Amino acid sequence: MTPSRYASIVSPPGERALEVQMTQTPYVTAPSPSGRDGIVVTGLRRSFGDVHAVRDMTFTARPGRVTALIGPNGAGKTTLLLMLATLLAPDAGTLSVAGHDPVTSPGAVRRATGWMPDVLGSWNALSVRRAIETTALLYGMTAERARERAEELITLVSLEDIASAQTRSLSRGQKQRLSLARALVHDPSVLLLDEPASGLDPAARVALRELVRGLARDGRTVLVSSHVLAELEELADDAVFVEQGSTVSAERLARAASSARPWRIRTTGSPELLPQALADLQVPAAAVSTVGDSLLVAVSGEDSAADLLAGLVHRGVRVSTFAPAVGDFERTFLDLDRHSDPAERSGPGGDGPLDPHTGDVR
Amino acid sequence: MIPFTRGVHIIVRLELAQRVRGVAVYVLLGLFTILVAAVTLLLWATSSNTGMNGTTGSSGWLFSTIVYFVLLLGTLLVPALGGAAVNGDRDAGTLATTQVTLVSTTQIVIGKFLASWITSLAFLVVSLPFLLFSFTLGELPVRTVVVSLLVLVIELAVVSAVAVGLSAIVGRPLFSVASTYLVVAALSIGTLIAFGLGGLAVQTEQRTTFINVDASSYDDEGAVECLPPEVYTSQVPRFDLVWGFLAANPYVVLADASAGEFDGSGYPVDLFGSFALGARAAQIPPEAETIYDECGALQSGRGYEDSPTPEEIWNSTTPSWFVGLAAHVLLAAALLFWGIRRTITPARRLPRGQRVA
Repeated sequence: MTPSRYASIVSPPGERALEVQMTQTPYVTAPSPSGRDGIVVTGLRRSFGDVHAVRDMTFTARPGRVTALIGPNGAGKTTLLLMLATLLAPDAGTLSVAGHDPVTSPGAVRRATGWMPDVLGSWNALSVRRAIETTALLYGMTAERARERAEELITLVSLEDIASAQTRSLSRGQKQRLSLARALVHDPSVLLLDEPASGLDPAARVALRELVRGLARDGRTVLVSSHVLAELEELADDAVFVEQGSTVSAERLARAASSARPWRIRTTGSPELLPQALADLQVPAAAVSTVGDSLLVAVSGEDSAADLLAGLVHRGVRVSTFAPAVGDFERTFLDLDRHSDPAERSGPGGDGPLDPHTGDVR
Repeated sequence: MIPFTRGVHIIVRLELAQRVRGVAVYVLLGLFTILVAAVTLLLWATSSNTGMNGTTGSSGWLFSTIVYFVLLLGTLLVPALGGAAVNGDRDAGTLATTQVTLVSTTQIVIGKFLASWITSLAFLVVSLPFLLFSFTLGELPVRTVVVSLLVLVIELAVVSAVAVGLSAIVGRPLFSVASTYLVVAALSIGTLIAFGLGGLAVQTEQRTTFINVDASSYDDEGAVECLPPEVYTSQVPRFDLVWGFLAANPYVVLADASAGEFDGSGYPVDLFGSFALGARAAQIPPEAETIYDECGALQSGRGYEDSPTPEEIWNSTTPSWFVGLAAHVLLAAALLFWGIRRTITPARRLPRGQRVA
């Protein structure tokens, strides 16, 4: 399986979606792939007894973009996705998915939304082909159209070799791809992906990335939850950080963005030159550490980084690598984690902050 | 949303392919066939040995036995096959992915109920050759055949609905299967126990008077003198006050609805008749005062009064099957309705510890 295979199927953008739409069955009014509405969430709250899974979430995910939902285990990501997927009703707040309210008109939202759950369930006595076909039927397609759609999706997620195998025999990564195919059956304009890349091998991850980027390029709204930040870094256009059931405010994000983070610097030529130059530039020794053949230097903000690079080059240091050592998402995530207010962390129910077993209530 | 019947149809097909159609079901069907074949053979052999070639012969007994077998096996297997239909899917992670499609929760639950019912009817289908064989042994009243099969099919539907309904109400598959068995046991055996204990608990006094012949006065001319009456009092159970419990028993419902045929001497011609008579006889209250006048009978030469034949008992008592059947159908419908309400999405309240997906 090669990454280019996924890419060749989703591109050129737009064309495929159009073809699917034109052959839709009468049971389904074709979702508009260029859904103008995306996802709008304001003041969302949902608790389960004493456990406040979602306390206060407000954000927007725009069409044509991939929005990352970032937060530790138990931050309320899955609960949020369940509400967007019309499975859970919120206690308070408003939701809009593709222009519809999941609570008052779940049918319209379901027609427009593809949901890939974090739990990998499949009808294990059915073949891959039959499972996708059945999902297509459940979305109201005719038997003939369902068969066609199953073949298209089997090719799209590269499950041709095992299309006739019972889904119980699938590996975790294969089930993940089946789950994705199922979410795409009705060509939804909004995609909710809960940990889509877990269990995928590197080639499949790249393929997934290309596929998801392609889907967003066609005008779909894609919301991806994950805590594998390096992966989201390459996938997402926007990010929503959640913590303790709340979305992180813009001010806190800005503060986190301006805080110091390590930059990796590698040079060629004389190794003494770099420490010397750093000392000249009055970089405190505490901000410098050595990792392998490169130095990590804590720098706050992009401007300071640019100044530092200019200073080094000016002093004749032959810089071969000058880059942030961690991604933007990871830096923000870690910074929020470090600076979050302890009073804010313990809720009324006294539920622990990061316990993956009890905190991640669905 | 998808049209109602189409959605239900897709779910039924999915359910039959996914849950029900497995090696286990075929093995059970095979065992069931062997069992019915053995019973048929034995009954047939017995009837030809004892020369039971009366008006209706053994066909009624064979037919009713097979029908009871299907009911027994059905009520034993359906809870296991359908008792985890909804919560099992939730555990497997396939319920939520179905609920986000365009089928409604009502369609999902009704579809699962129908699939479970269809599976239980498979047992009836494999017993068809034996039912047909019973027709060859003698004439069967059409009414008995039609009514008993109809009631059987409805009772199997009731068990399926209870199983699927409870699987949507109770969170864990193990508990919902167990509670389905409890409901089946309560109706099949619990009603018998309640009837027995209830009757024994409520007892009334019965006075029995015996007037015997004075043996010493007995001479050749046939004139006899009577001894003074002897009066005994005893406590007798009042089953006539608690016979309503029996009306809720599915086996009694089946019998009470299907029976009604008697042979020339007024005796039942099948198992339905025997069961139903037992239940019907319980309706008759014990007499507070009974007199056994042996002497008077001898003097007048009348002999004893005839005790009523089964047919006479049958005709003097009230049928109850429609009350029992209606109660069962009501229970089944209520559990399905409750199950749908508990499973509907977007979910507002979730039972403790239960997840949507």
